[in-house]
Amino acid sequence: MDTPVVKATNLVKIYQTGGLPVPAVRGIDLTVRAGEFVAIMGPSGSGKSTFIHMLGGLETRTSGEIWLDGKRADTLSESGWAVLRRQKVGFVFQFFNLVANMTVADNVELPALLGGVSPRQARERREYLLGELGLTERAAAAPAQLSGGEQQRVALARALANHPRLLLADEPTGNLDSRNTRDVLKLLGQVHRQGQTIVLVTHDARVASMADRVVSLLDGQIVDDGAIPRTRRRPSGTAGDVVELHG
Amino acid sequence: MITAGGRWVRADLRARRGQALLSVLAVAGIVTALITAATLLEDGTNPWRGLFERSHGAHVWIHTKDAPDVPALKALNGVTDLAGPYRSAPATLVDHGRRVPIALQETPAAFPAVARPLLREGRWLDPRRPDGVVVERSFARALGLRPGSPFTVTGLNGATHALVVSGLAESGDQGFYPEWTPGLAWTLSQTLSLVEPAPGRTETVTGLRLADPGYTDLVVQRAVMALRNQVQRVATWREVRASMELDNRLLGLLLALFGVAGLVAAALALANATGGRVLTQLRDIATLKSLGFTRGQVTRMLVAEHGTLGLLGIALGLLAGRLITAYALSDAVVVPLSPGPLVAIAAGTALVVLVAVWLPSWRGGRTPPIPAAPAAPPRGHLSRLARVALLVRLPPALVLGARDAFTRRTPALLTVTGVAIPMMMITIGLGCWATLDDFIRHPEKVGQAAALAVRPGDLTAEEARARAMADPDVVAAYPGAELDALVPWQTRTVRTRALGVSADPYPFPVAEGRMFADRGEAVAGQGLLDLLGVHIGDRVRMTIGGTPLIVRIVGRVVEPEQDGEVLSFGIDSLAAKDAMPPQFYSLVLRPGADPAEVRARLQARSLEVDQAVNPADRLAVIRVIIVALVVVLALIGLANLLTASALGLRDHVLDLAVLKAMGLTPRQVMATLVTGTGLPAMVGVLLGASAGAFLSRGLIDLEGRGSGVGAGIGRAPTPGMFAATVLIAIGAALLVVLIPARRAARAQVPVTAR
Repeated sequence: MDTPVVKATNLVKIYQTGGLPVPAVRGIDLTVRAGEFVAIMGPSGSGKSTFIHMLGGLETRTSGEIWLDGKRADTLSESGWAVLRRQKVGFVFQFFNLVANMTVADNVELPALLGGVSPRQARERREYLLGELGLTERAAAAPAQLSGGEQQRVALARALANHPRLLLADEPTGNLDSRNTRDVLKLLGQVHRQGQTIVLVTHDARVASMADRVVSLLDGQIVDDGAIPRTRRRPSGTAGDVVELHG
Repeated sequence: MITAGGRWVRADLRARRGQALLSVLAVAGIVTALITAATLLEDGTNPWRGLFERSHGAHVWIHTKDAPDVPALKALNGVTDLAGPYRSAPATLVDHGRRVPIALQETPAAFPAVARPLLREGRWLDPRRPDGVVVERSFARALGLRPGSPFTVTGLNGATHALVVSGLAESGDQGFYPEWTPGLAWTLSQTLSLVEPAPGRTETVTGLRLADPGYTDLVVQRAVMALRNQVQRVATWREVRASMELDNRLLGLLLALFGVAGLVAAALALANATGGRVLTQLRDIATLKSLGFTRGQVTRMLVAEHGTLGLLGIALGLLAGRLITAYALSDAVVVPLSPGPLVAIAAGTALVVLVAVWLPSWRGGRTPPIPAAPAAPPRGHLSRLARVALLVRLPPALVLGARDAFTRRTPALLTVTGVAIPMMMITIGLGCWATLDDFIRHPEKVGQAAALAVRPGDLTAEEARARAMADPDVVAAYPGAELDALVPWQTRTVRTRALGVSADPYPFPVAEGRMFADRGEAVAGQGLLDLLGVHIGDRVRMTIGGTPLIVRIVGRVVEPEQDGEVLSFGIDSLAAKDAMPPQFYSLVLRPGADPAEVRARLQARSLEVDQAVNPADRLAVIRVIIVALVVVLALIGLANLLTASALGLRDHVLDLAVLKAMGLTPRQVMATLVTGTGLPAMVGVLLGASAGAFLSRGLIDLEGRGSGVGAGIGRAPTPGMFAATVLIAIGAALLVVLIPARRAARAQVPVTAR
């Protein structure tokens, strides 16, 4: 049995707000295997974003353990996390977060360059990714010139630039209309079928239905964790068509 | 990793070219000012240094009756080379009816290795044309001589010789005419023998070039010992240098003050620009960190970006400083700044720049890596003051803007300081300007009550005085003499000026103490008090031409001459041999009389008349510098304003939709934005200008004190000038803020985060 890509053990996050402890995540245990597509669902304030940020090291945990690709990560320093992220984790955010001053091409090449590959290799990878996502002709555009859906696709390309072991997506469709949502989900599905491990946070049941497995959070705890039976999924149907009420 | 950061830096710079250029220019301007200041302070503009170096001058000139013992001089410890010995003869130049004493000095037809005159115009001496002479340039200028002009000289035997000026040359071995008399002309040996055939009436001059100019006094002593009683007179490089000295000290000090304060302002502007840029880019920086940039990488990247702008500015400033000292001050034969101060300035500014950008960069590096977290300004309640303002129906846009202005404390403070410091320096600059104007308007306040001085020349002193007083515009004539006095324990001389008699003293501008009123009392410039370490009330003892002089200093005068190292007293305090007859009469003119006209009239009565040079005219270059500095400082202020404006817009871009929803018109929205950024700027302008006006007098006096002129010259800017500056600054500030605010108020504002 291969090592899990993510393993969180009794993960706790308590914010100190005005001296008062506010628990956001209260002891989550979660294991994600290679190639798995996990959706984390829950209402606002259930701690799902905090949880996924902790998995990527964007926030520090209060207690508990995080193992990424068989290595313990929760004890890493901020810089250690940064290096780990650039090698193994790709992030997609709700508001795309493309670097405004840089062109689409530069945005996508940035993580590869940061990872230490040559500018030529970075360019080739960028050309490949933008080609796959149908954005080749927008390479020289500024992010502000792109539609929301296009921006999110660029963000996805950027997240995939370094062949990450783990793709973390925080409400990737939260800011998109239904057509763009469909496009982005289709792409996520494609990436997943190529073997990409994905952990996605959403409060949208339709989005969650794309996943192999849906984890439901409430008040910082897992209330339900179940695989979506394969039989109930259309093998190659578009994501937007699937309406799955779960949990 | 370097390429990743590099991409980001390049993209960011491309997005804010104007601001980046401003940062570069501001730093460049300050470095230029510092270099120019250091050059002036280092005496680089004293033409002596350049002339002496290029002419490979002799440090000591020994005048003897006959040719001295050359091997003995050469054998002296510390002497590296000899110039001469050359014969020198006194003669009189007859020029347009005037008779001007000159010294003819023999020189070889081939340029000598030491004390080589620097030919500036025309040709050098040629043995085939023995009637040619080469005239010292300042002397030639004063007399209007050019190559080809006739040069008619009369020797001591009365015989007149028609010679011709073949060229003009400069030399570091003799001061400029008329400070240094008699005027000098170089001739061939045969020409000299023609003019002065009697060997007994010539003297011999020999130049000694020293290994270390610091041992001049020692070498002079040894030379005098070696030559026994032959030595008639010794002149050293120090006297030559002093005679060529400009008022560079005051100028350099002023520039240095501006440079240092400007450096603080520029550092602040850079820190402000970096900090503002970091604040506006928090989301991008957070994104970078989420991509895997470490804290250190972000900090390094930001330091590299903003620091490079600063370093570029320094490089540009070094270049500009070189060019300015080479071209703008070319009249003064500038020697470029020596490497020590140059390196110090470059390294010092680089350090300041790096520290200034490092702090905000470090803060930027500590940005948490969650790009979703919006960086909103701290929200506050409407203050009680704001509520009252709204109650009394002040325009809501103003109240809201005023409230916004100070919600972010640190940027507001930075904006206020960033505008106030340049504004303060600009006001002080205007104070300098007003001080110069005051010099010109009231020359009597800087010791130039007398615009003209007549020298008796061929006339008797009484006759000269009578002729001068006959002019309707001449109100008073004070008898005067200027003599060098030897100061005890000092190996140098100071200028003493006897002017007027104790009972009827010349109107010296007394700044402290009182005017001399009796024999044995004197007033001194600040420079002299500092040199001797004495105070008002102390007695000083000097030797003038071998006669001891003991005076009590009863007051301090504003003294623009000789770096303030001048002692002034009544002519009756001098020994009779020095006082009678007076060397010159200082003429006080009727108010409103034109000195040039009076001078022309007196000259027509064959009097030798010198016109006093107002210190403001000698310091005219200060005005150019003030204008240049005002431009640089304005640039710095502008850079700060742009930062503040960008930051204000960023903070409020989300509020705009709310404001519009609340029912504010675009114009009111714009007014809110303009007030929000403009208010701290206005506060800065007013604070800075008031501080400048308050400080300028004291600071200029401090500079005056440091330069030896003495306190008491400083003036605050005139009210009109002050008001105009404040209004222009506020107007410019509002305009800078208005343009982006107008655009923002009209733009469609997204309701969500971008």
